[in-house]
Amino acid sequence: MQRATSYAVGLIVVFAALAAAQTTRQEMHFKVARRASVSIVNQYGAISVKPAPGKVVAINAILYSGKVEVDHSKGRRRVAVFSHLLEGADAQTGRVDYEVLVPADASVTLHSTTGPLHVEKLRGDMMVEGSTASVDVRDVSAGHIHIKTLNGPVTVTNVSDGLVEITSVGGDVALNSVNGSLVHVNTSSGKIHYDGDFGDGGDYSLTTHSGDIEAIAPAYASIEVVARSVQGTVEKDFPLQPEHTSFVPRAGSAFAGTMGEAASSVKLLSFSGKIHLKKR
Amino acid sequence: MTCEEFKRVLPELGSGHGIEQEEHLKSCCACSDLVADLNAISKEARFLQGSEDPSPWVWNSIEVALRQEGLIRQPQLHPQTPAPLLGWRLRWLVPLAATLLMVFGVLIYQRGTGQPQMSEQHSPPAGVVTANLQPADVMGGEDLQLLKTVGERTPSMRATYEADLRSVNAYIRDAEQSAHSDPNDEVAQQYLRNAYEQKAMVYEMALDRSLP
Amino acid sequence: MTDAKKRQGDGLSEADAIERAKQGDAEAFESLYNLHKRRVYSLCLRMTANTAAAEDLTQEAFLQLFRKIGTFRGESAFSTWLHRMAVNVVLMQLRKKGLPVVPLEENIETEEETPRKEPGADDPRLAGSIDRMQLQRSIASLPPGYRMIFLLHDVEGYEHNEIAEMVGCSIGNSKSQLHKARMKLREILKTSRAEKATKP
Repeated sequence: MQRATSYAVGLIVVFAALAAAQTTRQEMHFKVARRASVSIVNQYGAISVKPAPGKVVAINAILYSGKVEVDHSKGRRRVAVFSHLLEGADAQTGRVDYEVLVPADASVTLHSTTGPLHVEKLRGDMMVEGSTASVDVRDVSAGHIHIKTLNGPVTVTNVSDGLVEITSVGGDVALNSVNGSLVHVNTSSGKIHYDGDFGDGGDYSLTTHSGDIEAIAPAYASIEVVARSVQGTVEKDFPLQPEHTSFVPRAGSAFAGTMGEAASSVKLLSFSGKIHLKKR
Repeated sequence: MTCEEFKRVLPELGSGHGIEQEEHLKSCCACSDLVADLNAISKEARFLQGSEDPSPWVWNSIEVALRQEGLIRQPQLHPQTPAPLLGWRLRWLVPLAATLLMVFGVLIYQRGTGQPQMSEQHSPPAGVVTANLQPADVMGGEDLQLLKTVGERTPSMRATYEADLRSVNAYIRDAEQSAHSDPNDEVAQQYLRNAYEQKAMVYEMALDRSLP
Repeated sequence: MTDAKKRQGDGLSEADAIERAKQGDAEAFESLYNLHKRRVYSLCLRMTANTAAAEDLTQEAFLQLFRKIGTFRGESAFSTWLHRMAVNVVLMQLRKKGLPVVPLEENIETEEETPRKEPGADDPRLAGSIDRMQLQRSIASLPPGYRMIFLLHDVEGYEHNEIAEMVGCSIGNSKSQLHKARMKLREILKTSRAEKATKP
């Protein structure tokens, strides 16, 4: 038994060494002009984007086998990098992990199937698209954030002065401290969780077909809110001032009203899921 | 003709010389050498045409831009695929979804001009556009073709797309019923808009060559 | 070989590639690019004397071409159409940067200003002895206006009336600048050859 165990361990070590030997690292540096646009297309593997000083885009790619290549193209304001799968590549052998450093004002476009995708501390626009990739965007300001996913979970944290649009079929969406002039989330079955102020006098729309919506706001939130679930239930922890609207509240399935100065507009709409407006 | 006079007219001569210039060239080695040198430079320069190759990434960059601009499009479906429902082709569903979104945008806009929101009438007021919608099938012909395409390109993703299409179709079905039961209901119209946006996104992602 | 019959190794003729590119065929675009990339890139490189700028301009020229390919009806040769587009892209770029596309009508240099080289027994003809690499370097060192006209006429084969239309000068100015460019190149090449001859 001991012999079999040590043999197995030996095999694992050999396999790991072989696997490690197959991985290669590729580094690329590009000088760019102001407000450059950076695009990474990577079917399998992680992409992480962070800011760095200067006008340079630095990319560090780890390729997991010889069945994938990294190609790139560049203009004065444009860097595009893509993983090119060779014959016979699959999710393991075709995997590339990217670590990308960009100027903070760069606009970023990321495409991946498996991900995960991570972006932080940027000021430019971003378009993030994944199939099953998890998406994590945090600490960004003043940009247009556009996220599309089939089933990957989406987390957006600490966004100010932004435009945020998220479309997810089945992936859950979590927004923490996200404020901006427009925050729109549209899911089919994914749950939506919002924890923030609904600030900036913005237009907030959280809509889902069958997912649940949980919105947590402070007592000082200044909102005009409409919530409706056709087949599910709705709850609120706040007393709302009635507003003069043709929207007809129906106890248990719809409510409408205002809090504070009603600076922001909030819509919480689910067809068959539960909606709960909670007090923080 | 003097050398000075010859040099003055030389720029205008081009490849041909008049009799006077020919006579001068026969008698003047300096001008003859000058003309020979200039002709040699011109002749040698022609060999420089198209002599340099750009680096490979120039094409890569062009290709990326062409794809992003939609100038590179999907090849025609295999002729043996079954005729799509109602004569529509797979690739028309994305602009169709976008058109439907625009129709509902018009509807919402006209609602916003003061027409009754929750009126008791069941027929839409005059001037309001209502799309003549067909109830969404659970899995229509276009959906099956999309799944076939996904299955051929990336078999591992087929199940994911199938589940997502079912989910989105259910969304469309419920939203359509809601909108039909009360065409003046803004919220119902928004559900329908969102549902079609979801479907358009699924098709976009399935057909996007940048992702499997 | 006519444009219509140009073929790549893979058997796709230019005419076929154009039609397929209009339908959005990726392979067709690539085929057209491979057919014409050298000429366009060489032109851009010589006009800008800068590799990075030339690659950007090549990219831009092909993108403009491919965006408009649906409008190509075959009235002129495809290569002519592409080439003209490439020249326009370069000229626009130079104008954007405020660089002189062509000198003013008045001659910048006159015969009296340039040092005269006296012909002599030790100053043989250039004919038959022009080093192509040296010629390329010499072209790169020409003033931009001279270089532009020289490249368009002697390298790319445009006529003076076409050059005048493209760069916005008179035909007379185009001829004058071309002559001055050739004279300058002659001077540079002879100087270079003389320097080589004196080296041990």
